[in-house]
Amino acid sequence: MIDFINSTLRFATPLIFASMGGLLCERAGIATICIEGIILVSAFTSAAFDYYSSSPWLSLGAALLVGGVFMLLHAFLTVRVKSDPIISAITVNLLASGMTPLLMKLLFSNSTNTPSLPQENRFLPVFIPFLSSFPIIRHFSNHLSLVYLAILLPFVIQITLTNTRWGLRLIAAGDGPEALVTSGVSLNHTRFVALFLGGCLMAFSGSYLAIGHSSQFIRDMSAGRGFIALAAIIIGKWQPIPTLVACVFFGFTDALQIELQSSEMLNLILPAQFIQSLPYVISLVVLVFAMGRAKPPLAIGQTSR
Amino acid sequence: MNTVNRIFIPMVLIGLITAGIIWACGENPAILAEAFSNTFFSPFGLGYTIYYATPLIFTGLSVALCFHAGLFNIGAEGQLLWGSIAIVAVSHHFSQLPVFLAIPLGIILAALAGALWGLIPGYLKAYRGSHEVVVTILLNFIATTWVGYLILYPLKNPNTQSAETEIISSTYFIPKFSNAFSWFGTELFRTTPANLSFFIALFCALLAHLILYRSALGYEWRAMGTNFTAARFAGIRTRTQTLCLFVISGAFAGLVGVNEVMGSEHKVIEGFSPGYGFSGIAVALVAENNPLGIIASAFLFGGLQTFARELEFLSDNISKDISIVLQAILLIFIACRPWLAKRLLKQRGESHD
Repeated sequence: MIDFINSTLRFATPLIFASMGGLLCERAGIATICIEGIILVSAFTSAAFDYYSSSPWLSLGAALLVGGVFMLLHAFLTVRVKSDPIISAITVNLLASGMTPLLMKLLFSNSTNTPSLPQENRFLPVFIPFLSSFPIIRHFSNHLSLVYLAILLPFVIQITLTNTRWGLRLIAAGDGPEALVTSGVSLNHTRFVALFLGGCLMAFSGSYLAIGHSSQFIRDMSAGRGFIALAAIIIGKWQPIPTLVACVFFGFTDALQIELQSSEMLNLILPAQFIQSLPYVISLVVLVFAMGRAKPPLAIGQTSR
Repeated sequence: MNTVNRIFIPMVLIGLITAGIIWACGENPAILAEAFSNTFFSPFGLGYTIYYATPLIFTGLSVALCFHAGLFNIGAEGQLLWGSIAIVAVSHHFSQLPVFLAIPLGIILAALAGALWGLIPGYLKAYRGSHEVVVTILLNFIATTWVGYLILYPLKNPNTQSAETEIISSTYFIPKFSNAFSWFGTELFRTTPANLSFFIALFCALLAHLILYRSALGYEWRAMGTNFTAARFAGIRTRTQTLCLFVISGAFAGLVGVNEVMGSEHKVIEGFSPGYGFSGIAVALVAENNPLGIIASAFLFGGLQTFARELEFLSDNISKDISIVLQAILLIFIACRPWLAKRLLKQRGESHD
């Protein structure tokens, strides 16, 4: 049971980072279907950077930068050039899915995966001494530092969005761009900053996948997490805490999927492929039944003016 | 002039960028010229371009039809998988059918399977208001795993270790160009997988053009795309039409299986599609969603695919994924064009003052 909860947390972590990044961008009024692409480039960047530098934290920094820069491309196309946000996002996704194998072949002569990294060059579990003195919580005190960060992040974002000037401006950029412009704040500037920071948050997710959760970059390793994170945002109605709950739920389906695959009895009845598709099917079903009451930021879906 | 602008300038730009990438990869940019001539000036290259252009016409149409009504069909990738596997399934159950029944049956079932998978996002979009982009993308992943199951278990080829289905019965084969024209004493596009399903794609493009611009149905779709609210108040049944669009789009995407399974490979290999569904979006955008323009734009992207294949073959460390990068760069360029044009005009205007 405890193992299962821990496994849920581990699977939820990349989804939380990705959806929080996406949430920032969407709240700023720019539809962001390109979470998947950002996860891919940042995962590749951290794996490749770690291979040369042997430092996970430096690689995380590099990944954040690359993730942010890729989102700046999305920001440029949607905010400056005023192209359709969905087409722009698809372009970013295409670029990411083509560029990673191309660079991989160039750097490592192999277009499917990067070399496996030694244990000491990856993120290591952090044992928190304070938590470990409590009776039940101590079982959950042996995670990677990124996992703790992910659980705290939605609360930080909630407070930032509702209690800081920057956060309120970001919400205004999404819900009432005209009002923001009227009050003398640059809409474009607000959106550029929001998208850059959103890209950095998504990059945490890629870094976690490549050098925390596993030890290398594998082609298309994001495996739809960017879209599941997007589903989590929609189900969470663009609010950080409900989105966190949705992410933990999807982390749970992921953990369940792994758990079910190892149970031999079930494998006889249900083929492994159907169990593998479980997270997507559940996302779809929840998405369909949670919709109807959800209210996206007003400016989303419109091409920016 | 406009066509020249739309196709030629991007081509030159792509050429320059590719040369840059090749140079950055430490290869000799001279292989660019060789790859280019192999792609566009040899029957072998042209054959491959036709082979790659055929599925792109289907997926391009699939995306473009939805675009006309302001809908996004990102699900062509999943729909084409069902279309392909449907052909193997029908050949598995009806292997003794004569040719004149087998070929139409295969084509119809491929379209039907794609249409059924398109029905799901169509229904969810029309009647539940779900986000069609997220739904179709999730359905792509589901299709990949479920079709993967069919490839690995019920329809597996028992004679091989690799993940592919059994070979379909030969009555379902659509002739390749090289065989079809052998009566005339010429082996057109010898040793390439180009096949006659290319003409089915041309026919579909023509059909889509007629529906869109010469029928009430197409008028209603375009009205939905121009102003959805006005279209609804004018009495257009937008829900039914949304459903209908996704079904037809799915059918077009499903027909990709005809080129792949009946025309060239005669089996479904796991992961055979190099992202035809996603490239379809680029194809539709370049053609500005015009069905006949899609034929030209599919040739452009098909050529790009062949070109990338040639580059991979001629060089040591360039992978054929370069075509995906080039597609993305092309899309960025197309997106920026109005903006660039405006800036240039502005600058010119200022210099006159």
